[in-house]
Amino acid sequence: MKQNGAWSPYLAGGLAGLLGVLSVLLAGQFFGASTSFVRTAGMIEQLLGPERVAEMDYFVKVVPGIDWQWMFVFGIFLGSLVAALASGTFRLQTVPDMWQRRFGHTPVKRAVVAFAGGVVAMFGARLADG
Amino acid sequence: MSSLLYGLITGFLFGFLLQKARVIRYDKQLGALRLLDMTIVKFMLTSVMVGMVGVYLLQDLGLAELSIKSMVAGPVIIGGLLFGLGWGLLGYCPGTSAGALGEGRVDAFWGILGMVTGAALFAEAYPWLLRTVYTWGDLGKLTVPQVLGVNHWLVIPVFIIGVVFLLRWLEKRGL
Repeated sequence: MKQNGAWSPYLAGGLAGLLGVLSVLLAGQFFGASTSFVRTAGMIEQLLGPERVAEMDYFVKVVPGIDWQWMFVFGIFLGSLVAALASGTFRLQTVPDMWQRRFGHTPVKRAVVAFAGGVVAMFGARLADG
Repeated sequence: MSSLLYGLITGFLFGFLLQKARVIRYDKQLGALRLLDMTIVKFMLTSVMVGMVGVYLLQDLGLAELSIKSMVAGPVIIGGLLFGLGWGLLGYCPGTSAGALGEGRVDAFWGILGMVTGAALFAEAYPWLLRTVYTWGDLGKLTVPQVLGVNHWLVIPVFIIGVVFLLRWLEKRGL
């Protein structure tokens, strides 16, 4: 296997596909992530004003709370953390290498662009129901 | 409760595989968008091929039901364009941002905050979007085999052959 212990994308991708099929068979759940961001936003807004959240159409459709998919996304965080620590590839980094080569060490600029990108990407993902 | 546990275990294994294949990094995601490094494309297409055969098999055996989403042209096209724009800026997608944070990529945290904000803004805009964008080009729940009017076991091998040729071509080009 090439470059510092990385698994072939064909092997890992194939296993991920198998995992997806098993999930449908055993839990009846298809992989997804973006709905969990809606539930998280709803849970935060509930802290500020539960009455308002209860009246919002989208939070009636996507009820704020922890479900299978929310735990799935949390699991991705844990699985990646364990794999990174076990293989010595965990690296605290505020600016990705490719960004650094192009824009230099600019963590604040990177944070602003990442945040803005996140806003736009999630709005688009929800709109397309992806 | 067991549903939450299934979610956690499935996510853990998926995150483990994503990290092992090195596909959650900004450099890999931007590498694909800049057509420099197709690692994530190889991962995704292999996943899709396996998932496609497996899930249709489960459906034919009566063990699962497909989860088909409505094809509404307006929101799919506009949403897709917005998602692509945001993805290019962030360099992580919703699922991989959690994995990137697990690898120690602090910038993914700002992306996650942005995505929660984007979800909140979407919830605000939803009533208006329902009256406008969601009414543009509603084609209902569609699948490719349905549109072509053929059995899915005719479409699946053709798709797989196409993907294999594409992947072979990428390997030859060293991408």
